[in-house]
This record gives sequence, structure tokens and C-alpha cells, in this order.
Amino acid sequence: MEDDVKKVKKPGLVSPFKRVFLKGEKGRDKKAQEKSSERRALHTFSLSLPDHRIDPDILLNDYIEKEVKYLGQLTSVPGYLNPSSRTDVLQLIDNARKSHQLAGNLTSEQDAVVSLSAYNVKLTRRDTEDIILRVPIHDIAAVSYIRDDSLHLVLLKTAQEVGSSPCPSTCMELSKSATMGSLSESGAVLVEACSLLVLAVDNKGAAEELCLLLSQVFQIVYTESTIDFLDRAIFDGATTPTRHHSLYSDDSSSKVDVKEAFEAEAGTFSFQSSLEAGGHSPCPSPSSTPASPQPKTASDSELSTTAAELLQDYMTTLRTKLSSQEIQQFATLLHEYRNGSSIHEFCINLRQLYGDSRKFLLLGLRPFIPEKDSQHFENFLETIGVKDGRGIITDSFGRYRRTASSASDSTTNGNGAAGGSDEALAPSEGDEWDRMISDISNDIEALGCHMDQDGTGP
Amino acid sequence: MTMEEMKNEAETNSMVSMTLYAVMYPVFNELERINLSAAQTLRAAFIKAEKENPGLTQDIIMKILEKKNVEINFTESLLRMAADDVEEYMIERQEQEFKDLNEKARALKQILSKIPDEINDRVRFLQTIKDIASAIKELLDTVNNVFKKYQYQNRRALEHQKKEFVKYSKSFSDTLKTYFKDGKAINVFISANRLIHQTNLILQTFKTVA
Repeated sequence: MEDDVKKVKKPGLVSPFKRVFLKGEKGRDKKAQEKSSERRALHTFSLSLPDHRIDPDILLNDYIEKEVKYLGQLTSVPGYLNPSSRTDVLQLIDNARKSHQLAGNLTSEQDAVVSLSAYNVKLTRRDTEDIILRVPIHDIAAVSYIRDDSLHLVLLKTAQEVGSSPCPSTCMELSKSATMGSLSESGAVLVEACSLLVLAVDNKGAAEELCLLLSQVFQIVYTESTIDFLDRAIFDGATTPTRHHSLYSDDSSSKVDVKEAFEAEAGTFSFQSSLEAGGHSPCPSPSSTPASPQPKTASDSELSTTAAELLQDYMTTLRTKLSSQEIQQFATLLHEYRNGSSIHEFCINLRQLYGDSRKFLLLGLRPFIPEKDSQHFENFLETIGVKDGRGIITDSFGRYRRTASSASDSTTNGNGAAGGSDEALAPSEGDEWDRMISDISNDIEALGCHMDQDGTGP
Repeated sequence: MTMEEMKNEAETNSMVSMTLYAVMYPVFNELERINLSAAQTLRAAFIKAEKENPGLTQDIIMKILEKKNVEINFTESLLRMAADDVEEYMIERQEQEFKDLNEKARALKQILSKIPDEINDRVRFLQTIKDIASAIKELLDTVNNVFKKYQYQNRRALEHQKKEFVKYSKSFSDTLKTYFKDGKAINVFISANRLIHQTNLILQTFKTVA
């Protein structure tokens, strides 16, 4: 009977412990519920199963968001770390958690949103929208999924921060022999370092979805760069070498001689003189410059139409976009680059010259950048948020076409990374590029005449 | 340009005649081992007929296939067969530049003819495209080397053929871009066939002019 009494719940009496505990629990649940109802909906799309296929246009022109927990980012991770090696990675993570470099217990504080596009992976706080970090796609070396009991981790191995030099690894237990790295002045072992971005998702399905989305992004980027490689190879082969110095200091025989290009195609135009002038040497006066197009010589016909056309195009655009003084400055910068100044300086100075509203003009220089500098140039374009159909992201997916039918194509994603250049390029892109393909000779011609009028020269 | 010249230009650039040398020439070569006279007569007849009626050989082949109820993708099959050397187009000069021309042209055609086998595997296909890019560049570099070294009276014809080759290379690149959007492989095969044809025309032009 006592047992029966014990078993019967007496109405009205609640354990104080339960009262406090449950009240707290209910309170937290209520808060969490309120929070989730306050949070904005994610920008997401339905994906085709089983491989979570997404329309490439979404990754190119838009973006997709997924909810994750951001545990942290480990820097100075040895570059040889295999992100799919469960043992190595978990060891790294465990040590990082012990030293509080990574979050230990997972709470709503780690809630984050990963925004994925063909350009970058962006992490923001779920509630405050504060940006945690942004990783360009070309900085991602590998992505992996590791399950640790109930924890579903997605790891992104990325480049160490741009500009940082190799530093001693913080994970000595993973370091290989000294022959793999180099010794610093202090004798510490230096190895190529990378970063490890550690995310957690709810379940295996979410992890696989995120990995497959990133895989599709990689495919897009790799495809685009392959097509770009093909285009470059065609262009490089199409230019016919001449006996004169090329535009570029590396004297590559595959590059067009700009002087001859313009003498052949522009007639009255004296490009080399204008370049060398840059304020420093005499420019042919109008009286000494033939008023009519030069008769084509045998060497003129050696020049590829492709290269000459591209040059012409770019000049045409500059003419419409730059003032006379700016064209002079452009000629000076080009002259300096031709005579040995670095591609970095060239890019920075040009960017300064063009400003924000005209930075898209840098795109037109692409065919004229020699192979050795092309990677730096492409990276520079990306850092300033300039993209078009022929860069890292090209028009393999019809995102940019030089036809009237796709004038609405945008050169940026929904995040609006490129800013002002969108407005310049989006309307009648075909016309814009066509203008880029026909005016530069007149610009430099105008430059030459202008400088002559100014009486510059030795 | 006279009407005759225009007709010749259209004819030589016409890809329909590719069937003659890509499909029929190997058949004639086999037949020569059995009956030399008959094979040579047939070859001459087909060449003459094709010249007067571009596309005739392809029509005949298609009809034969239809009669035999053979269901194949003709364009794809043509591409697979197009890698073989066409003796009529091989340059016989022994100088290294011309040997290189033959070799680079052969290399490009072989890679292009592998497209049907690679196109369904994205990673492998992208590698194939990179190989094609390198092969195109090497062929054009070799053409440029010949230009640099030799002065020809009829240089214009060579320049024109090179320009055409570049044009079809760009067209191939554009076709690939469209393919990655719409997935229609047949257009890639057609464009690859055209590029192979242009490669053969480069050899033919150099053989004639050099």
C-alpha cells in the first residue's frame, strides 16, 4: 500500500527542483523558438538528388546559403595535411579545442550561415549577419567530411592568408622531417602553411550536400579555367612573330609586335613613338606622319588579324572612356611596364588611373599580358572584383556572350561583388566589347598628336 | 574572286567531303590489296564525283547504312575515324619544319578523335581539352616557324588557311562553352570534325605551295 501511495502522483505538489529546472528548460526552449522564428529565411534552392545538382547559373549569377556551425579557423596548419585523413585531422582539432583555438561545446553562438557561389565561400553570423570570413574559391585546396561520433564536421583546407610567409608549424606532432621544409634563420623548421576552416553541420546528409555543392563549384571554376586555357593557346598561336622586339620585356616570340600591328592596321598611327614619348621623346609631328594609311608590306601581312583586332578594340574603348591626359598616363604606364616595371605596379597604377567606375577596362588588357604575368593579373582582377566571361569565370555557361541576345547577362553574382563594373558591362555588352575592340589606335594617335602639341620631347 | 574561285573555296572548306578521305580512302587502301586496278578506278571515280558534287560520298555512305539497318551516329563515327593520316595531304618534304607540321597535325587529329570516348567523364574531358589546346598551339607555332624560315610567293594562301584554322579553333572553343551549358555532345563532334578538316587543309595548302 505504501508503494501504491508512492506511485500515485499527488496533484498540486511539484518538486521544487523540477519547478526550477523545467522552468529554465521551457524558458530556453521558448527563447530558441523565438530566435528561430526571428531569423531570416536562408537563400536556398531545391537540389536534384541524389548528387544535389544545382543549376550552374545559380552558382555563377546568384548564391546559395546553408546553415552551419562555425567552430573556428586554424592557421599555420602544415600544408601537407591530408584533410581526409581522419586521424590527423581529429588530432589537430582535439588539440585546438584543448587550447581553445576552436569552440568546445556547440551552442547557438556558433550558428552561422555559409553563402556559396562560384566566386567565394562567405561565412556570416546567423543572427547578426556579421561577416566572419570570406574565402575565394581559388584559395580552397580541399574539402572533406569527417564524422566524429555525433559531430559532423566539414573541413575546408585553404591558403594561408595572402602575403604571409611560411611560418613554423604549430603542430609539431604532425611535422615531417626537416627535409620537407626549410630552416629559418632561427633554425626553426619552416613548412608551407595553410588554414583549416572547421564547420559543423546537423547530419551526414547536410555534410554531403555541402561537399557536393563545393564540388560543383570546383567543377565550374576548373571548367572555366580550362576553356580560358584553350582560348589563350589559340590566341598565342594565332599571333605571328616578327623580327622586331615584342611589346613584352620577356621577348616572347609568340607575342605580337604592337608597333607593327598598328602600323599595319591603323595606318596613320605611330604607336611606338607615342609609347616611347610617354613624355620623354619626340613624337612625330603631323607633317612627318603620313596622312594616309601605309601600304601594307610583306611583314604587315604576317600579323595575325586576331591580335591586331584585339589591340584595335582595346584602343577604341580607351578612347571613349579616358580623357586625353589619362590616355597619356596610360601610355606612360604601358611604356614603363614594357621596360621592366613589375606587373604588380602596372596593375596598381592602372587601377588608380581607371578608378572604380572604369576598372572593367582592365579586362581588355588580358590578351596582352604575357604568360609569366598572367596569373598575377588574373588574381588582381579578382581582388578588385572585376570579372567577365573570359576570366577565371568565363562564359562557358552563357553568362556572358558577345551577342545581342544575352545583353542581360551579368558579370557578377547576387552578392554584387563587382560593384560598379556591372552597370558598365551589363547593358549591351556586345556593343561595349565591340567598342573595346576598335578604338585604342586612335587613342594613342590622339595621344601622340596631343603630346606633339604640348611640345614634349628631348 | 571569280565564281570558280568561290566554288573552289567553298568546296575545299566544305566538311562534307571529309567523308571521302576519312571513310572511303581507308576502304580503297584495303581494296588495293585485293584488286589494285579496281581500287584505283573506284578511288578516281569517287574523287571526281565528289569534286563535282560535294557531299555525294556522304550521301552514298548514309544510304548504305540505311539499307543495312545500321544505326550509328555518323558524326561521332566520322570523328573517331578522322585521326588517320591522309596520304594525299601529308607533306613529303624532309626538312624538320615540315616533318614537325605532319607530326603536330597528326597529334591534334588524334586527340580530337578521342573526344567521343572522353566527353562523358568531366574530369577526363577537361584534360582532353587542355591537350587539344596544347596541340593547337604547337601546330600553330610550327606553322609560324615555317613562315619565319621560308618565303613563299603564294604566302597569301598560307596565311588565309592559317586564319581559317584559327577561326575554326575559336569556333570549337565557343562550341565547348555552349556544350557545358546545354550538354549537346553532337555539336562538339561536328565542331571537332570541322577542326580536323581544317587541319588537313593546312597540310594540303603547305603541300601545294611549299
